[in-house]
Amino acid sequence: MTDDIAYWFSYLTNGKHLTWYASFQFTIFAALMGGALAVVFGLLGATLKNSRFLPLRLIGTFYSSIVRGVPDVLFFLFFPLAFEQGVEWLVASQICSPEAIAAQTAAWPPCKEANWFLGTTEYLILASVSLGLVYGAFATNVIHGALRSVPNGQLEAARAFGMSPGQVLWRIQIRQMWVYALPGLSNVWMLIVKATSLLSLLQIADIVLWADRLGAPNFLPAVGLVHEDWRWRYYLVLFVFYILVTWLSERAFEAIMRRAGKGILSEARV
Amino acid sequence: MQAFLNDLALMSQAVLFNIYFAAASIPIGFVLAVFLALGKASPNPIINRLTRGYIYAFRGSPLFIQFFMFYSLALSLNIAVWKPLGISGFVLHPLFMGPLVLVLNTAAYTGEIFYGALRAVPRGEVEAARAYGMSRSQQFRRVVWPNLIRLAWPAYTNEVVFLFHATAIVYFALPVVGAQADLMITAKTLFERDYNAFLHFSVAALYFLAVSLVVFFLFGLVYQRLMRHMPAPPRMRFRPKWMR
Repeated sequence: MTDDIAYWFSYLTNGKHLTWYASFQFTIFAALMGGALAVVFGLLGATLKNSRFLPLRLIGTFYSSIVRGVPDVLFFLFFPLAFEQGVEWLVASQICSPEAIAAQTAAWPPCKEANWFLGTTEYLILASVSLGLVYGAFATNVIHGALRSVPNGQLEAARAFGMSPGQVLWRIQIRQMWVYALPGLSNVWMLIVKATSLLSLLQIADIVLWADRLGAPNFLPAVGLVHEDWRWRYYLVLFVFYILVTWLSERAFEAIMRRAGKGILSEARV
Repeated sequence: MQAFLNDLALMSQAVLFNIYFAAASIPIGFVLAVFLALGKASPNPIINRLTRGYIYAFRGSPLFIQFFMFYSLALSLNIAVWKPLGISGFVLHPLFMGPLVLVLNTAAYTGEIFYGALRAVPRGEVEAARAYGMSRSQQFRRVVWPNLIRLAWPAYTNEVVFLFHATAIVYFALPVVGAQADLMITAKTLFERDYNAFLHFSVAALYFLAVSLVVFFLFGLVYQRLMRHMPAPPRMRFRPKWMR
């Protein structure tokens, strides 16, 4: 019995498994960073949508409807690739000599010097930004609605005190809107958490990729424990992990809602 | 321009796979979701707990993981179960596995929508039906269901569009068999050939947008028909709120 426990303990703490546990940091980082950026882009989008200047309003509406109109995975893949190409194009226009361009045989980049190698860190940041952009479009709608739910009397009172439009926006409207935005933002957060499972599509060695590697059947005793195809067990662990994260987030949002809803009429706390 | 038209032509084949995945999973998921919603509202503690747990688990975890999990489960059962039965090629085929997992996933989301609608069915109408002496099945068919489907239809439309968007990740989790590539795989393959991200991904996005609009239009027609007894036929809002 104790032998068994020791055996499984040593299996679950071998180097590969420790790397797997360490790779949770990528998922958590992407979720937190993506969530923060989604709120930033959401605020930006909602401000644009509320703008009195028509072109800005169009940009805001266009952003929130087009990004939500295509699958998240499409934009999630497209943005990092397009950004990388854009930077390479910019660099190429500065440093590429005509000879280097003539010597280049591949379709991209224009010359070898302009090649930008992206490692895990760069891809992780780009992935977080693209999560923020995609779900910022959802947050734009949520915040846009919440901004309009702020009681008009409060804004009028602020204007009567002589606040400028910017002050009314930042000191009253945005501070008061969180209670109305929280239920929607909690939905957006759940979507972001679930979208972090896509990180492996951008060559990040995240939890999904490691689950695949660890569970793959092994027939060589030299490599480690000989076992058949155990991938489904590892995916089951991830399945449970995501359910737990969802559960925890729900509890956390409930607590925040209770706190934020203090002193506000109960209809805001749905 | 020529490249754009080429892409349009190439992807018109690919979009059929996305449509197939969605079309194959929506009807089955719909039926399953009705049972899930009834189960979640059921007073029987076992059925109630089970359906609640199912809906929570499938709504609380990423579809991407669900694909991997069910596919690897099917793979590990291959030698013991599918091979002896001689259906290994069928079960492990993405055209079967894809809809299977999509059904399980969309049934959970749709079940939650239907459950919400079920709770919103006016209590007085159900009581009136009971007072008329209708049996439980009669109550459901004549009173609860017509109310439920009208209440749930706009949200259900969103869910269908979301499911169609979710078909984009099917082939990222399952193996691509031969030339059976969907929009995303086609866009990615074309991108890897000439590195023109803007062209290929935009064409794929256009297809997704186009099909989503068609779905909205068709479901809007159904909604108008469902609501034909209302004095002013409510039009389905064309501004989608695609929130799961």
